[in-house]
Amino acid sequence: MDVNEAQLISRCQQGDQEALKEIFNQYHQKVYRIAYGVVRQREEALDIAQEVFIKLFRSIRQFQGKSRFYTYLYRMTMNTAIDHTRKMKKVPSLSMDEEEGFQLSDDAERRPDRILDHKELEARVKWAMDQLSPDQKAVLIFREVEGLSYQEIAEATGSSIGTVMSRLHYGRKKVQELLKDYVERGR
Amino acid sequence: MWKGGGSVKSECSSISRLLEKYFDQEVTQKERSLVEDHLPDCPACRMALDSMQNLRILIKSPVEEAAEKETFPWVWEKVERGIQRKERPGLWESLWSWLDVTSLRKRKILIPAVAAAVILILITAPLLYKKISSYPVPSVVEYVESETYNVMVYELETPQVTVIWLFEGPEEESSTS
Amino acid sequence: MKRKASLFVILILLLSPFFGAVAFAQVQVRVRVMEASNVGSGFDSSLRDLHDQLGSLFSFSSYRLLKDESVNLSPNQSVSLSIPPERSLELTLINQHRVAAEIRVKITRQGRDLLTTLVRLAPGRSVSIGGPKRGEGTIIVALSRLQ
Repeated sequence: MDVNEAQLISRCQQGDQEALKEIFNQYHQKVYRIAYGVVRQREEALDIAQEVFIKLFRSIRQFQGKSRFYTYLYRMTMNTAIDHTRKMKKVPSLSMDEEEGFQLSDDAERRPDRILDHKELEARVKWAMDQLSPDQKAVLIFREVEGLSYQEIAEATGSSIGTVMSRLHYGRKKVQELLKDYVERGR
Repeated sequence: MWKGGGSVKSECSSISRLLEKYFDQEVTQKERSLVEDHLPDCPACRMALDSMQNLRILIKSPVEEAAEKETFPWVWEKVERGIQRKERPGLWESLWSWLDVTSLRKRKILIPAVAAAVILILITAPLLYKKISSYPVPSVVEYVESETYNVMVYELETPQVTVIWLFEGPEEESSTS
Repeated sequence: MKRKASLFVILILLLSPFFGAVAFAQVQVRVRVMEASNVGSGFDSSLRDLHDQLGSLFSFSSYRLLKDESVNLSPNQSVSLSIPPERSLELTLINQHRVAAEIRVKITRQGRDLLTTLVRLAPGRSVSIGGPKRGEGTIIVALSRLQ
């Protein structure tokens, strides 16, 4: 952590909202990317990003600098996004989002040779990712979307590198199997 | 079992365990050499790498596209509001602490006072509700004037919708940014 | 003694709405400006309370929030906001009844009146004014009473 960031965090811990704003300016895109990687829907990702920074402000006093700040923030983002998906499963959707009115039909699954358009492919990817456990999904998103190293992922998930590699391996294997036709022939 | 050294071809089964690490650029220099030495002669391993790459594109590309075009409208403002909303104590807590009702409770005044208020509300509410519900509901839009637009007013009760729609003439359309 | 008096005042205030129009000085109105279009899809979460209303009348696939402000209206004092595309929205509290507040809404462009309307806003009910084009979208201004 550089000196500037350490100062920002310290100010934030003392309740300085301007410091939070600077942190927001620096990280909001990354937070959004992780959130979008989980929910794959714009409005939900924006809601999650907003919630993350509110939570950050309230909990930043607990950050003691033992891990890198961004891994702390990424972990908070991932947990918030996964909690959000759990809540959304219990509540019928209110928003006219991309998936409303679109159903991935059984026919599509039985006909892998069918040419699917962009939207249906995206829905398919989301569905495949949703079949993963939260831990597998987290490491896959950290690795594929944010390009974090194994060490960084281990810090962000609070696990060992070996566990990260194992979750990544089985997560990739499962999603590759579910998206076999698209993965093997390329987009 | 393979022998070390860059010139010896390694078996596929050994290399395939390294493929993911290689793909994630987490290999040592020695491991990299082993993999890169093996790949030209192994279509299966090359295909496995291609699959991983395709999977990465499938997962990453939509996120990149979404993040690139996102303008984050009002997100910071909502964060600020969210922080302020949670910092403000609840109305009830503020009221309760301000009243400091513990002394009142000790003097046994609070319960009769609240009971009197509840009785008063219960007696007057049905009468007032009847009075209120008999008022005719006035239209939401009293009047509309426009020399520029043709205007339509849509007013529905279920759901409660009031929309004033302005139909632009050609002059307005051409001058609109 | 002071606490007893305070409690008494609070009880009176709780009951007073039943006994006629409440003469609060200000009315708070939320102004949300959105761009509705058929380009892309999505419904800004800040507009969720308007979902049923807008969905019942329009078939736009996307509603994007452009502006979200709350204004306090005092009797006969106008408040102006800029709204796209290059227009001005002026709100004036004309009258206040028990349930609804009468608000004059003016939309102007470069000093020229484009629209004047008088609406009654009650808590929980929104009035939307829409139609001006902006690129591929259409601007809708939603007015909601906050208190």
